[in-house]
Amino acid sequence: MTRWTRLRENSLLLLPSVILTVALGIYPLIWVLRYMFYDYPGYGEETFVGLENFRRLLRDTAFWESVRNTFVFAGGKLLITVPLSLVLAVILNGRLRGRHFLRAVFFMPTVVSTAVIAVVFYLIFNSYNGMVNQLLMKYHLIGSPFEWLGPKHAMLTVILAAAWGAVGNYMLLFLAGLQSIPHDLYEAAAIDGAGPMQRFWRITVPMLGPVMQIIIMLAIIASLKGYESIMVMTEGGPIGKTEVMYLYLYKLLFPVATSGAPADQQFGYGSAVGFTTAVIVGIITAAYYWMSRKMNKVF
Amino acid sequence: MWKKGLGLGLTAALAIGTAACGNSSNNGDASASAPASSAATSSSTASAAPSKASSGDKAVITYWTDDRHDQEYIKSLIDKFNAENKDNIEVELTVLSENYNQSVDIAFSSNKAPDVLRLKSANTETFVKKGYLAPIDAYVTDDMKSKFGSLLLDGVNTFDGKLYSLPNSGQTLRLVYNKDLFDKAGIANPPQSLQEMVDDAKKITAAGKSEGAYGFALNFKNPKSAFDRSIREILSLSGYQGLGYDLKTAQFDFKPYGQVVDYFKQMWDDGSVLPGAETLDIDPMRAQFAAGKIGMYLSFATEPGVYKDQFPTTINWSAALAPTLEGKQVGTSEIVSAGTWLGISDRSKHKDAAWKFMAYMYQDDFLTAYHEQGFGISVVPSIAEKAKNPDIPGMEGFLVGEHDSIWPVSPSVTPEGANYGDAFFKYMLSGGDVNKVVTDLNARYNDALAKAVEKGDVKIQPNPSFDPSKLGS
Amino acid sequence: MNEQTAAMGKPVPRKRQDGAAFGWAGARLAAIAGRAVLWIFLLAVALLTLFPILMTVTGSLMTNAELMGGGRILPSSWQFHNYAEAWRQSNFARFTWNSVYMSVAATVGTLLVAAAAAYVVDRRHFPGKSLYVGLQASTMFVSVGAVVLRPQFDLMVKLHLSSSLWGVILILISAHASTFFILLGFFKAIPRELDESAMLDGSGFIRTFYRIILPLLAPGLGVSGLFAFRHAWNEYILPLVFTLTDPGLQTLTVGLANLRYGASAAMQLNLMMAGACLSILPMLVVYMLANKSFMQVTAGSVKG
Repeated sequence: MTRWTRLRENSLLLLPSVILTVALGIYPLIWVLRYMFYDYPGYGEETFVGLENFRRLLRDTAFWESVRNTFVFAGGKLLITVPLSLVLAVILNGRLRGRHFLRAVFFMPTVVSTAVIAVVFYLIFNSYNGMVNQLLMKYHLIGSPFEWLGPKHAMLTVILAAAWGAVGNYMLLFLAGLQSIPHDLYEAAAIDGAGPMQRFWRITVPMLGPVMQIIIMLAIIASLKGYESIMVMTEGGPIGKTEVMYLYLYKLLFPVATSGAPADQQFGYGSAVGFTTAVIVGIITAAYYWMSRKMNKVF
Repeated sequence: MWKKGLGLGLTAALAIGTAACGNSSNNGDASASAPASSAATSSSTASAAPSKASSGDKAVITYWTDDRHDQEYIKSLIDKFNAENKDNIEVELTVLSENYNQSVDIAFSSNKAPDVLRLKSANTETFVKKGYLAPIDAYVTDDMKSKFGSLLLDGVNTFDGKLYSLPNSGQTLRLVYNKDLFDKAGIANPPQSLQEMVDDAKKITAAGKSEGAYGFALNFKNPKSAFDRSIREILSLSGYQGLGYDLKTAQFDFKPYGQVVDYFKQMWDDGSVLPGAETLDIDPMRAQFAAGKIGMYLSFATEPGVYKDQFPTTINWSAALAPTLEGKQVGTSEIVSAGTWLGISDRSKHKDAAWKFMAYMYQDDFLTAYHEQGFGISVVPSIAEKAKNPDIPGMEGFLVGEHDSIWPVSPSVTPEGANYGDAFFKYMLSGGDVNKVVTDLNARYNDALAKAVEKGDVKIQPNPSFDPSKLGS
Repeated sequence: MNEQTAAMGKPVPRKRQDGAAFGWAGARLAAIAGRAVLWIFLLAVALLTLFPILMTVTGSLMTNAELMGGGRILPSSWQFHNYAEAWRQSNFARFTWNSVYMSVAATVGTLLVAAAAAYVVDRRHFPGKSLYVGLQASTMFVSVGAVVLRPQFDLMVKLHLSSSLWGVILILISAHASTFFILLGFFKAIPRELDESAMLDGSGFIRTFYRIILPLLAPGLGVSGLFAFRHAWNEYILPLVFTLTDPGLQTLTVGLANLRYGASAAMQLNLMMAGACLSILPMLVVYMLANKSFMQVTAGSVKG
């Protein structure tokens, strides 16, 4: 194959990816980097404001509260999702009757659309006549209605809902990773007398290392970025208690529809906020990657 | 093996189902008499599909609205227009259930703007500002000028001396209350002052709590929407502008607003508000009211229609004027969304056709029928005088009376940080110092106002001689 | 003692570890108890997982007032006609078609674009390779949020794609970084000698790809295809913004959300639930198809 043909082939194969990535992935980033120094309501004039947006960001308590909420949300969601999906994957990886059925069961929440989830979880968790409260009161587990979606506990409910929708997803990813561990290793260990727990800790976990590192990283990014389910469930929660960074940002650009009066879309400030959130997520991801580099080595 | 079969089977079923039902639903769309078939979101062609394809002089214009409650009536009018008009004009209706303003923004920015739009008091000025609307001065006849004359107000439907829309109907706001629950609590009349409202709510809750009934509720999931349908008319009847704007000084002053919020907070702290109201959306709230679980709330004249069709109810309910701060009616209850109805897009390629449609819709017969069927309270004097009252239970309470009037328009600005709805609701739930909240809101809103004035987006004019008690006379 | 010998690498007679302290009968009991705990755990999680979905199903069979009134698990009267109503009212067939169309196009596009790129990155040398990989990685980690919708939309306006689903499809395909990395991993696992020797033998590029690479790539395509499809299927905000001006193009996610608003200014949650149940079916089909491809998986001796 001549060098020229090779070059042409390479370019052809790579071109779609490059074009799409640059046009729809990189260009928007450059757009944001420019507009974060402007004040632009989405139409008409854009005014150069220099660092004013960032000064505003520093005094924007609502934003920093949303950052805190994001950490709480992501932490809670990960704490439930990762161990649970790993355990489920391990259990359903082995020979178990009905494992295909169970896998489908656990995968189901991920296929239901968020708008529906919001409505259903409202019907389940609302404090006035929600399903959960009714059941809890019927069996005398609580005395008066528990405010699942009230200011104090909305975050918990939202975390539960998010974990519910995510476990199936990560379970699948872990399954795929587990399936790449050769069975012979397990058999040899069993012959050597290793019990199931020992097999798990000495074979599964180390072999899964690199895969698990990536999956957890994806999970971290996803939980920091996730806002759609929160948006449809609580719209940021009673008095902003469940407002996470990306939802706060979304609302700057698409103000929640109220009766008639359109609020200005704040693209300039929104870009500044977007930039800051990306930096925060980037720092956390990098920190995680650095801290987990041990996982990359297979024992 | 069986799984594969199941998978294929399901796919086949879905494919067949899609094909079959696809055909039937298309036929359903074409027939104009099919009720609610292409309801909330379809861009239904109101006339039969085939005529769309024909070329020639046919002008196809699109009309966008976010009114859902009257869409069947509007559709019937459009069908009539399409059938009867001799200028070969065809109108397509699109009903947007939410995100109306954003959709309009996107449509105009991508050159897919509708030709005729539904305009409301809150978004007309913004649309004019953004250059979306075309002035209709050239089209309006003298007859029309006399019919609508007194209602053509600057800042409402007239901007910079140019007219952009004409009024049709408005919405009155009232206190909606459950007579049965009032009786049960031993209260004879709906509250006239806010203090009475707080006390009444407490009594109703005490009497009805065992059955899950509470004194008060609102759709606090969206605090601004909740306040804009309640505090707005409480304030206007008490003599203050309902959105926190002081017409005398042309600045924002949320002090009276804060006073009303304090009473709401009292009800919240008393436990008189339906539990979970902070997550309550407007329709679940109506469902609870229809089920007899709520003593009172405040809202627009859309409620009777809702309880007739969507949430049929057996409770005895009625509507009364909102309570006031002091128990006296110093001002008037604001009729909202009263200055505009339809407008023409500046980008329309069929402005003449659009006007013909608009003029058609503004016929006396249609405006009268609109009022009589309870879609809105007519504000046009010649219509309101002659029209019969709508035959919907509960509508009597909402009819325009001596205490209702239109108020001057207030500027709408986007402040930095939380809007007044969120800020005051946060205060309601977590407490604090209402004066601090008021001061902070005033600062931020007036700051945004100053910036908007500087940019030329809004114009303000202090009116020191403004007297709320003189409105409506 | 066993650990010691195992560490020394000496074979140890096979013995059941669990419950060995109680002797053989105790060991069996512990095993059964262990299994029971396992199954209780699984069933509990399954129940919690399915409960909201079951509620969606029962909710779809209630009247709207009953559903919104809340507090009931089973409908008092079974409103099966809700399904026909939801189908009719929400133009369900069209929304389903739009969703299927968009998701399939996005999935196929993503797989093609990512696979082509992964092949080149793994098998060929070219200047700027690390720059390209870095670029892909950055699009995964750098996310500025909903702001990007505006420039993306503006771009689509210029391309006259802003009121077509293809605008959405292209944006979905442009987010192929994760697929790219998954497939890259799979390519690395396929020995180069395989295709190189095939091509030396005179087999053309396409044939090599089809007969040798593709079968080994299948599990990777299955996994990433499933995720790409699911991502496109569940996408809400993107199609929402792009179809605001043309409701006929709406996908299921958007159409369902709009079902909340019926003819007269009020929500019709029961119809929405019915629509939701209907919309789960296509995803399940795709899941089952994809399941087969990647569960047969890998160059391992898995008896999954």
